[in-house]
Amino acid sequence: MPKTIFLVDDSTTILLSVSGILSKAGFAVEKAASAEEALKKFAAGVKVDLLITDLNMPGMNGIDLIKQVRTLQAYKFLPILFLTTESQQSRKAEAKAAGASGWIVKPATADDLLNTIKLVIK
Amino acid sequence: MDELTSAFVNESRDQLVAMEDGLLTLEQNPDDKDNLNAIFRAAHTIKGGSGVIECRYIESFTHKVENVLDRLRNGEITATGELASVMLACCDHMGDLLEVLVAGRAEPPADLKAKGDALTTELSTRYMNEAVAQPAKDGVPVEQVDDVVASGGGAVTTEAWHISLRFGQNVLRQGMDPLSFLRFLAGQGEIVSMETIPDAMPAAAAMDPESCYLGFEIRFQTRGKKADIERVFEFCRDDCTLNILPPRSKVSEYVALIESLPEDNLRLGEILVRCGALTQAELDQGLGLQGEIARRIADETSESGEPAPPKGPPIGEILVEQKSIQKEVVEAAAQKQATVTEKRAVEARTIRVQADKLDQLIDLVGELVIAGASASLLAQKSAKTDLIESTSVLSRLVENIRDSALQLRMVQIGETFHRFNRVVRDVSKELGKEIELVINGAETELDKTVVEKIGDPLMHLVRNSLDHGIEPAAVRVAQGKPACGRVTLNARHDSGNVVIEISDDGGGLNKEKITAKALERGVIQPGQTLSDAEIVNLIFEPGFSTVEKVSNLSGRGVGMDVVRRNILALRGTVDVASVEGQGATFTIRLPLTLAIIDGFLTAVDKASYVIPLDMVVECIELDADSADRTYINLRGEVLPFVRLREWFEVTGDPPTRENVVVVQCAGRKAGIVVDQLLGEFQTVIKPLGSLFRNMRGIGGSTILGSGEVALILDVQALVNRCVKREEQAAHAGNATRRHEMSLLADHA
Repeated sequence: MPKTIFLVDDSTTILLSVSGILSKAGFAVEKAASAEEALKKFAAGVKVDLLITDLNMPGMNGIDLIKQVRTLQAYKFLPILFLTTESQQSRKAEAKAAGASGWIVKPATADDLLNTIKLVIK
Repeated sequence: MDELTSAFVNESRDQLVAMEDGLLTLEQNPDDKDNLNAIFRAAHTIKGGSGVIECRYIESFTHKVENVLDRLRNGEITATGELASVMLACCDHMGDLLEVLVAGRAEPPADLKAKGDALTTELSTRYMNEAVAQPAKDGVPVEQVDDVVASGGGAVTTEAWHISLRFGQNVLRQGMDPLSFLRFLAGQGEIVSMETIPDAMPAAAAMDPESCYLGFEIRFQTRGKKADIERVFEFCRDDCTLNILPPRSKVSEYVALIESLPEDNLRLGEILVRCGALTQAELDQGLGLQGEIARRIADETSESGEPAPPKGPPIGEILVEQKSIQKEVVEAAAQKQATVTEKRAVEARTIRVQADKLDQLIDLVGELVIAGASASLLAQKSAKTDLIESTSVLSRLVENIRDSALQLRMVQIGETFHRFNRVVRDVSKELGKEIELVINGAETELDKTVVEKIGDPLMHLVRNSLDHGIEPAAVRVAQGKPACGRVTLNARHDSGNVVIEISDDGGGLNKEKITAKALERGVIQPGQTLSDAEIVNLIFEPGFSTVEKVSNLSGRGVGMDVVRRNILALRGTVDVASVEGQGATFTIRLPLTLAIIDGFLTAVDKASYVIPLDMVVECIELDADSADRTYINLRGEVLPFVRLREWFEVTGDPPTRENVVVVQCAGRKAGIVVDQLLGEFQTVIKPLGSLFRNMRGIGGSTILGSGEVALILDVQALVNRCVKREEQAAHAGNATRRHEMSLLADHA
């Protein structure tokens, strides 16, 4: 049973590239192009082992998404990684406070990405 | 281009449009935070994507743009018209760079590179002057000093790192399993020994099962550096207490560590001994040192007297500030949420489909239409009522499917129109004129192919209006007009056509000048009398241009005749109406779609011809009286006609009864004489091969239900031909009449 990773990003380029890397590494990938769409899937009880979300999205941002997910009993302990950049260091603390587990600094190599994922899920 | 790159290109084009829109509104609304964020996000997304596809030249340029936008967003610089202009230029440059990527080149050509360099220099000197001096380093993990100089006496003689870790209570709530860190750490080297420290665990009653109370003392062997170990714990470093001692650390450092941890010193010391960090002797020595250090510290504090007062603003002030910030943030967020959810709701109802998939669907529907027609024909032949009935139901459904399928290709013209906001802004600045653009009917829908192809002709016409139409402000004021000129783009549906109008309130077209130029260029002959409408439409004739000086905007060697040719290629028409001193209006009429039309099937001899049904006004019988003329009397109106039989040089005698199909095109009526009328017919337009490109009067071909080919008439060309011939005839007629008169006079 492969682990499922839920990917949320408004950029199709990111969705496409990251999901490509993940599926090649043997993960199942669930995708959403916005926080709202992701929340809908969470509300429907989507089975995921890790959430990776962008912070900066139109509509609901990643931090609010993380907060919302943490309020759901089923996802209280779900590992959550967020995508960030060097220039957005200040948002890390905010996202951590919202309940994120960790982050991935863009641009990341496939190895960076997979290593970080390995850190949070078996 | 691989899938990822093409996804990036498509996305970036969208983002550039969004960015441009944002920048255009920025000038009017410099304080709109949402807009600023949207602009920043657009640049940010492009940069992120370019990093993913490893397109360095886009990434590095966009990064610089993003930096400026970030400062703008943070209120460090203010939004000015100049900034918007530079940013718009940057948008253009990014668009150019995307084209370089699309072309598959590894690097932009030298001139483009120079342009980019000029832009980045401008950005950094004008908007980044501070940031250039101090590169943004805050928050970036600085490489730790790794090498600890082994300093002989007092150094602990083990080769392993010592990691002392106390997890924060929130670690589980943040979705992290403490074990996963240890597991990951084990993957980075070898855990020599490990002691669990459960001291923080409260009594069972007070314990929160969702909190983490554990700590670890770990001996760890690795070839990595301290930063590598730190990286393992990066995600929990802010919440947990982490101390990493390199191999051969001094005993005093272990002591400092023991001191800093909350657990009992002696007990901790024992644990360290147990896990092999220290020997008992070292521990004893260390704890002895401890007293000494404590004494020294006490001495230092007493010497300097009072500890220095805390720096920075009092906490109360910070709190007040934070509160006020929070209030604003909350309000802004609530507002944003409301507007964005609205937009999202609309977006959620649309899906992106690749255009070629739609084209394929339309093709298939086209084939379906033909097959359906064939089935109907067979049913008619069989004369079985129930079969005819069921095929007619089928035909109706096919018709509906055709309409729905075509509807899929329909896009609003708004996007094309809105592009002109930028054009008008740039051009009016360049010309030093004040011009506003008014857009009406942006929601009018037409075929995507048409929308794509109408962009260039529209651009030319709009530029023409800006350049030649609108007068300089001084002239306008002198004429009692408002100083600010106005160009209006208007789109609407009109009986199966889309009408696009570009009007300006400028000086209108100068008829004398046009006539003079037309004579000079030989477009018209001396003595030729033309109506006002004909004179202004001369500007569309090949080889006509009234511009004395070739300006940067219009007159780039592309004349109005090219505009007309492009529009004709879309089966459309263009003409111009002008009122001197009040402005000119260019009117483009376009068919709704290029693929399928409702046709009217006629026959001459054995061949079938299709006339687009939209253009058919009525059908009448050709009475024998008119047989040798080229016009008929249609209820008191002169209606010129053309015989297809003559036009296509069909040999053989015409039938005794011929029919006239009255067609209307661009406000002019004409008749087309055919042998037989066969009725309405759904037609899939198939383009003619290049062999037939120069054939006049035929716009395309189609396949009938019987499998035969029918030619689709180019009604426009036929009508023009009719009207022209009629005018020539009228001239000639006048001449002969004058001649007869003089003869009569002689007789008298």
